[in-house]
Formats: sequence, structure tokens, C-alpha cells
Amino acid sequence: MRRLLENRQAAAGLAVLVAFTLMALFGPLLVGDPTAFVGVPLAPPSAAFWFGTTGQGQDVFAQTVAGAQVTLVVGFAVGISVVAIGAFIGTAAGYFGGWIDDLLGLLINVFLIMPGLPLIVVIAAYLPAGPVTITIVLIFTGWAWGARVIRSQTLSIRDRDFIAAAIVSGESHLRIILVEILPNMTSLLVSSFIGATVYAIGAQVGLEFLGLGDVSKVTWGTNLYWAANDAALLTGSWWTFVPTGLCVATVGFALAAVNSAIDEIANPRLRAHRAFDEALAEAGVEKGPSTPVIRRRKTSTR
Amino acid sequence: MPRILRTLTLGLFLASCAGESGKVEPGVLVVNEAEQTAAFIQNFNPFFEFGDVRWPARHSMYEPMMIYNVMTGDYVPWLATNYTWSEDNRTLRFAIRDGVKWSDGRAFSADDVLWTFEMMESNKALDLRGLGEFLAEVTEPEPGVVEFSLHRPYVPALEYIAQQPIVPRHVWKDVADPVSFANETPVATGPFTEVLKFQTQSYKIGRNPHYWKGKPGVEALRFLAFPGNEQANMALVTGDVDWAADFVPAIDRIFVGRNPEDHHYWFPLVDGTVFLFANTAVPPYDDPGVRKALSMAIDRELVVKVGMHDYTRPADATGLSDAYARFRSAKAVEAGTWVDHDVAAANAMLDEAGFPRNEEGIRFDFEIVVPSGFSDWMRAAQVMCHGFREIGVDAKVKTYDFNTWYEKVQNGEFQVSLGWSEVHESPYGLYRGLMSTKTVAAIGETGVENWHRYGNPRADRLLATLSRTRDDELTREIVYQLQDLFVEEAPAIPLFPGPSWGEFNTRQFTGFPTAENPYAPLTPNWAPQTLLVLTELAPKSSAEGVSAKR
Amino acid sequence: MKFLLRRIGFYLIAAWASVTLAFIIPRLMPGDPAQAMFARFKRKLEPEAMDALREAFGFTDAPLWQQYFTYLQHVASGDLGISISYYPASVGSVISTALVWTLFLAGVSVVISFAIGTWLGILTAWNRNGWLDKIAPPILVFLGAFPYFWLAMLFLFLFGFVLGWFPVRHAFSPDLEPGLNLAFMWSVTTHAFLPAGTIVLATLGGWLLSMRNTMIGVLDEDYTLLARAKGLSERRIMFNYAARNALLPNVTGFGMALGFVVSGSLLTEIVFSYPGQGYLLIQAVRSLDYPLIQGLFLTITLAVLGANLLVDIVYVWLDPRARRG
Repeated sequence: MRRLLENRQAAAGLAVLVAFTLMALFGPLLVGDPTAFVGVPLAPPSAAFWFGTTGQGQDVFAQTVAGAQVTLVVGFAVGISVVAIGAFIGTAAGYFGGWIDDLLGLLINVFLIMPGLPLIVVIAAYLPAGPVTITIVLIFTGWAWGARVIRSQTLSIRDRDFIAAAIVSGESHLRIILVEILPNMTSLLVSSFIGATVYAIGAQVGLEFLGLGDVSKVTWGTNLYWAANDAALLTGSWWTFVPTGLCVATVGFALAAVNSAIDEIANPRLRAHRAFDEALAEAGVEKGPSTPVIRRRKTSTR
Repeated sequence: MPRILRTLTLGLFLASCAGESGKVEPGVLVVNEAEQTAAFIQNFNPFFEFGDVRWPARHSMYEPMMIYNVMTGDYVPWLATNYTWSEDNRTLRFAIRDGVKWSDGRAFSADDVLWTFEMMESNKALDLRGLGEFLAEVTEPEPGVVEFSLHRPYVPALEYIAQQPIVPRHVWKDVADPVSFANETPVATGPFTEVLKFQTQSYKIGRNPHYWKGKPGVEALRFLAFPGNEQANMALVTGDVDWAADFVPAIDRIFVGRNPEDHHYWFPLVDGTVFLFANTAVPPYDDPGVRKALSMAIDRELVVKVGMHDYTRPADATGLSDAYARFRSAKAVEAGTWVDHDVAAANAMLDEAGFPRNEEGIRFDFEIVVPSGFSDWMRAAQVMCHGFREIGVDAKVKTYDFNTWYEKVQNGEFQVSLGWSEVHESPYGLYRGLMSTKTVAAIGETGVENWHRYGNPRADRLLATLSRTRDDELTREIVYQLQDLFVEEAPAIPLFPGPSWGEFNTRQFTGFPTAENPYAPLTPNWAPQTLLVLTELAPKSSAEGVSAKR
Repeated sequence: MKFLLRRIGFYLIAAWASVTLAFIIPRLMPGDPAQAMFARFKRKLEPEAMDALREAFGFTDAPLWQQYFTYLQHVASGDLGISISYYPASVGSVISTALVWTLFLAGVSVVISFAIGTWLGILTAWNRNGWLDKIAPPILVFLGAFPYFWLAMLFLFLFGFVLGWFPVRHAFSPDLEPGLNLAFMWSVTTHAFLPAGTIVLATLGGWLLSMRNTMIGVLDEDYTLLARAKGLSERRIMFNYAARNALLPNVTGFGMALGFVVSGSLLTEIVFSYPGQGYLLIQAVRSLDYPLIQGLFLTITLAVLGANLLVDIVYVWLDPRARRG
């Protein structure tokens, strides 16, 4: 974890995420009712309304802040669920092998290959509109990604000596999975969680944009739905959809930054490369076909 | 790296020649279909109205005997030259016009009229307006005259019979199933009947070579497919569409402002009034006092401003839009004080009706249901909710997908909803759907109109008399009484008269109806009145040429 | 060969699962397709007429499993049924042109994105910490974090509406006849520019990063060191040795990416009024048009599976090790 914070990329990403989480938790209390009529519809950003007003005379800033809550909650909920289900099925498949693996593996692959968004649209259109439906639908269509990755990792860990030792010493399967296998793939689990969250936020926004969410709730996706419905492009009211889009992208980007930092930390090769490049830069030496040996005086903090 | 930049720049430059707004097909009028659809299917069956039938079927190909013009309140003779009622209002006769030809050159005659109505009788699925309920027999007593005998005196029958599109016997007699018949190469009497091109994203219809009114000024009609309002509006605003009925926000700025010379619009308030329907079968909405109180809490000016961009005005208590302007009773309007915005009076009324406020100041609550595509209704509903809170009513907006919403309101499974109303020749149909016991269905049963389930025997008596008379004096007298009744009972809450949307582009053609020249409604979506417009359009005087602005 | 046979078997199962889901889900949900259809007719519809119509369309009350087997039989014989919302057009006729455009858009986008992204990945891996490596990945990842349709709306607005550089709707100019002539093909290209461009920009980052990371791994391998020791030029090492080996894992991702893009292009198509399957699906779902939903699902899934099969074949050809499996 410390390593994570020392990576500049990750630190920046985490900071952004914390900021958004705080905004999601406390923002709605500070901005008042985002659905209230406060001004002339489609007014551009001004001192009174930092992000201007929507086609219904509502405060875009308030809507952007308030929208974070539901969007992030759904995103994180899906992320956690996908990892939980993925861990359950993935470890079972990888650990037990044999026909269990064949069956679960088939199930995973089938879900992976089905076109996601069409399936999501079909299901979401029939269940009552709202964040709960969207959460369920996204979990249903997204769990396979986590499962697949965890399964592969389980397969490679399973053959290690300490697992054989645990089996021989009579540990129960469940205990082995929970205590020996899962802790060894922490970075993978975190990475899956992040990936699933990114996917969930994007898919959720897409679904709500299509009108399949509960349009009376304020979320980032429904903000974009209303912007389109109130002819944002046609009236040149860019402020009704740009802030929300930027928020989604920033959160996604922050998550991706944290993810790639985790990748680097977990992948010793990438880490070594970075350390190498940084050492060279410090010593002011160019890389070439033959690189001189450098002695670093400072203790490496990596 | 520079190589890439060079290629990219070249590419962008080439591509910049690719922008296409402003390209004009000479002689072609581009029309927006009413229903947005992603893909056009070739179907021109004029009977199959709720199916995926293309616009021209009822708007430019098949014609009726008479056309009711909502702007003038008169019937325009079309395929028939006149009509006469018998004294007892049970028989209707039409004199069929001579010299009309079908687009394949064969002669049109009274026989085709007979055949059309015969088909509707033997195929109930084609009789969408329920003519079979009052129509007994259709005959040709003399050559060139068609006679309709009704079961009982029923004057409103004229509207349906006169405006039925007529199809040719010599084509349709061989059609096995007229409901599923796609009619891809139609034979019709209208001004534009020839299918010149047909693709899923666009199609083109050419002139009828034998049109009885002579060659139309427009050479062909072109249609483009749009998946949604945004795309349709964009095409209109960039000048790629000539005739549309789009809802465009801030239209002066974004449409007219873009090309003040050629971009015009006109929104006469001749569509049906939009109402707020409270389900009178469910307490407390069975109490007229409650309905009136709710009505007084609505700031209609704000609703019109925010919900409808000021394109309309607040309704009066009669519920009549401008389509019925000549029937409006000044006395009833004056008596209808419950459409004024008066929060104090509304509060008093609810106190009196026995709905005290609780500790949080709430008397009762409800949900207003709205279909999720209708953004103007959504906005209107939200404004109203804010108003309701001022009288202690905790109202919320709930959206449903259109089909779900439609099912709910028809089955009476709602508390409050917005809704449209219809426009006919006389307010008979309107008030029947608002107040007649005959249109009330139990909750759970499908009621295609009168979703608010209000029935009043006094209204029944008035409506029955109205349906049997053609006397102008008597008609007006009864309609006045209906209005008085409506104002007294407040069965539904009128919000604003419905604008009839219409925009047009004069880059190639002139002759569209306008406020200065209201010879017909402008909207391309009101069959068969579109025939009146299509036969009026003419190329702009050649001196001005064709403008190819973006 | 055995590898391919197993894959085909798997794809068949996946197709069946997908189609079955498309069959079951709409039917389990509340709603009546007849109602949905008649709802378009926003005025009185006489009950007699409604009943007669219901019968005409064959809205059947047969038990679910019976309908399912009838459906499977029809599919096996290539009959996808008649669409409810586009009645009386057959599902096949409604989908066919749309499918072509969706595959065209998605296919072109994935290929271009893969090509450019992979190439950028090679360059950034080679010149790590060079100016390209510092700028390209962050920018492209940031662009990729935007939802597809948001970028689509932005581009449509900027380049189509405001600047007018590109056509803003449809797949080709309406006054042209489809055919193998230059005018038509040029029109298709210019109309695809914005939609495909949006998808390409949104997916570029992913390809870049994955290629870059694989390349870094490959560059450490012994054979790279050997190639250098033998005195081969940097360029040769980069392309003929490192990239070729790093490419393999990415090829498998290609098939998966196609599936993603076909999904995501749904929204892009709506924004650009592109006559693909995107809006067809939304409309079908709203109208409870079961046959059309099933048909769309089947064709999309088959297309994606077909692409994956092709990718598998290419992979087997590229990597001799896989042939043994």
C-alpha cells in the first residue's frame, strides 16, 4: 500500500477518487435540491450558476455534484459484487479442476462472449427502472470478467508447493482458498475491482442516457439523458453535458491510473524498468546499446 | 512523425470537402415523418394506421371524399363534390367527382368507394374507428352517388365517413389479407404516388402522372430516417428538411435565427387541449372541490413558459382549444375561476373539503405519471409538483416507458396523469370522452378514452341530443350547456391548448400556410389536410433561385 | 485442428445460450406486445378491431416451452419470423441492411484502432520515456475514459454541426444508389468518418497500453539481447522480432474487442443516425417485438462469434504452439 502511495500516478488517482467520494457523500447536503427551478432555462455559466442551467432551469452544478452519489454507489457496488462472485466462481473452477472447471469455465466463457450492451438493454427495459435494476443487470452481465482472470491466477497458484503442503496437512478446501490462495492475489482482486467499477460507471451512464434508468432521479447518466432531451447540442448548450462527461472521464481516468500503478507494482518487470529509467535520469545518462553501470548513492526508496 | 502529420492534415482537408449540409435536390420537398424510426420499411397500406406505415399512404397517396379543414371549420370537397343529409339524419349521400383517375390510368368511380367500405365491413381489423357501430349499409342508388345508411341518427358519422381514404377495387379485390398487405407499389388518386427510390435510411415519392387536380408544383417528396428528436431537429435547423412538425426549443434563436429568410414556423393552438387527469374513481379525486383546488395551485403561466417554451398559453376552464374557438362560451369561461392561480383559495378549499394538514404540513400525496419520452410533459409536471407543495400536497413525478404508461392510464391504474384530447368537427367527441358515462370503464378494464373515468348522466342527455341534430343554433346551445357543466364539475383539469407544430423552409417552395394565410393547418401530420397544402405548394419565383446556405 | 473444433463447439453453445436468453427474458417480463403495438394509434381503437388484429398477428397463448421449440425449429431453417413493430416485414428483411452497417462500422473501427494502437504501442515501448510515451498514453487513456456516446455527441456537435466538416447522419448520401461506384464508396467513407473516429479514439488507449506492456516484456527476452549482439538494426529488432512476438497475445484480444465494439457502437449509431442495429434494438425492446429482439440477438452474437472464430484461425496460423493444443 505504501508503494502505491509513493507512485505519483497512483497518488494523484487516489486523491481524485477521494475527492469524488467526498463529493458524493457530502455534496448533496451542500448544494440544495438539484431539481429545483432556480433560473432561466439554458443559461450559460455565470457567477450565479457556475455551470449554467439546464433546459428546465435547474442548476447544472448542483446536478453534477448530486449525481455523483448514485453513480458512484452503483459503480462501486457492481465492482465489489463482480469481484466477490468472480472470486467465488473463479477460485472454485481453478482450484477443483476437472469437470467443475470444465463446467464453470464454459459458463464463464459463454457469458464473456455474449454481446453485453444488447443483453443489458433487453433486461433493463423490462425491469422497473432505477439504480437497483441497473446494478443487478450490470452484475449479471459483468461477473465473467473477474471470474476468468481469477480462475487463471488460481490455476497458476494452485500448483505451488505451499498449496500442496496445505492439502497434505489436512486443511479444508474452503480454508485453503480463503487463507492461502486469495491473499496471494490481492493486487489482482483490487485490479479486477477497479476494472469492474470503470465498466459499471460507463455502462450505467450509457443505459441511463438511453432512458432506461429512473429519469426522475439525479445521476450523471440521467443528467446526460435530460441534456439530450432538452436539445443540448441544438441550442449549443454545451454546459449541460460537458461537466458530467468530464466527471465520468476523470473518475475513470483516476481509476485507470491507480490500476496501472498496481500493475506496475505487481509486475516486477515493469517496476524494474521504471526504476532503471529513473536511475538513469537521475544520473543524467542517456540510454544506448551499451549502458554504463551506475552506482546510486541514495538508498532506493522503491 | 512529420509524415504522419502530413497525412493527417491531407486527410482532414479532403474530409472537409465532405460536409454536406446545404445540398439541395431540385424540385424535391423533404418532409419529416411523424414517427421517428431508424429504418424505413416499404409499407403504404392506408388502413394499417398504427402499424409501421409510411407517411405518404394517408398524407399524399390515398384521398378521401371530403377533407375537414380545422382552420376554417368547413369540409372541402375532394373526391366527392358535395354531400347531403336526409331530413332524419340517418342517410348521408355523396356525389362522386367525375374525371378522377387512379395513378395507373384506370378511372375512379363510386364503385371504389363501395368496395372500400365493404372491405372494412368484412375485415373488422380494418375498421379502426368503429364505423360498423353506426353504419348499416352502403349503396349506389344512382350512378355517381354513394349513399350511407345509419342505424340511428348520428351526425358525427359524417367526419369518419367523409375522411376515409378510398382504395381501388381493381387492386385490392385480389389481396388475400388486407391487414398484412404491404402495398409496396401503391395505386392511388393522390398527388404523389410513385415510389421512385426506397432504402432503409431514405426514400423518394414522385408525382402521380394522372392527378385529377393537375400537376403539383413539387416534383417529388423525399423522406429521411431519424432515430430521435435530436437528429430530426438538427436536420431541420441545418436546412436539410423543408417541412416538419418538430418540437424545437427556443425556435426563434436556433431555427429562424440560422436563416431568417427561409426558416419559418407557425404553431396555431388547434391541437387538442392538454389536461391533467385526476382519476375520479379514486378518492379524494372524486370530489370536484379537490380537483378545483389542485387546479388553482397550478401556475399555468410558469408551466407554459418552462414546459412549452411559451409556445402556447394557459387554458380556460372549458377545455376547448382554438380548434373549437367558434363554440367557446364567454359565460362559461368567466365562471371558470378555478383555472386562475390562487394558492390562498386553493388552501381554503382543501381545508373546507376536509383535508387538514398533518405535522409536516402535508394533506395527502400522489404521483403524476408521465411517459418518459415526453420531455415537455415532464417539465410541466415538475412545475406543477412544486405548485402542489404550496397547498400541502406532496406530489411527485413518476415516469414510465410509453407502453407501460399507456396501459396504466387506460386501465385506470394511476392517480394523476397528463393526457391529450382529440380534435373533431364539433366538441361532441371531446366532451363525450371527458364526461359521458358511456366511455367510463371500470378500473382494470381498458378504457381507450376517459381515463379519468368521469360519467355524468346530464352530459349523456346533452350529447345524445347533440349527436342527432344539424341545426347550428341548437348545436351551439347544447355545446354551451356542456361547457357550463364542465366548468361546474371540473371532471378534468385543462392546462394549455395544444400547439399544432409546423415548420417550413422556403428555399425551393412557397405556398405554405402561415398565420397571415391560414388556409389549412401547417403541420404535415394531420391527414388528410396535408393534401390541401401539397396541392398549394409551388416553386419559388425563379428570380430568387435556390439558396444553398448551410 | 482439435483446438479449432473445440472452439467451434464452444461457440455453438454460446450462440444457443445467447439466443435462449433473448427468447426468455422479454417473455418473462410484464407487458403485452399487442398493447405496445396499438399504443402507437393514439386515439380510440375499437375493441372489436383490436381483437381482430390480435388474431391477425397471431399473438399466441401457447405455453412458453412450446413457443421456444417452434422458435428453435424456425431458426434452424433460417426463418426468423415476422416483426411485430414492422409488421408485416420479416425480421430478416428488417435486420439485413442494418447488420451490414453495424458490422462495417464496428469492424472498420476495431481494425483501425488495433492497427494504430498497436503501432503506437510499439513506438512507445521502444522509446520509453520519449516524448510520445509521455503524451500519448495519458491522453488516450483519458479519452477512453469518456463514454462512447459522449464523445460521439461532442464530435457531432463540433465537427458536424458547428464546423460542418462532415456529414451528420446516415451511412451515405440519400441521393446515391448503393453500388460499387466511386461516388458511393466515397460517400460511405465520409459518413463513417465521425462515428468510426469516435470509436477509434475511445478504444485506442487500450490497444496502446496492452501492446506497450507486452513489448516491454518481450524486449527483456534473451533473443532480443542476442539480436542486438548480432548487430541487427534497431528497427529490424523492433518490428521483426519484438513486435511480432508481442502481437500474439493481442490478437486474441481482438475478437473480444469486436464484441465490445459491436455493443458500444449501439449508442454511437443512435447519435449519428447510423442505419445499423443500434436503434433497431432499442425500438424492438420498447415495442416488445419479440421476434425482432431474438433476431437481432442472434445475428449480433453470430457475427461476434464468427469474428472470434476467424481470429482463432488466424491465431493458429500465427502461433505453431497452438496447433498442438
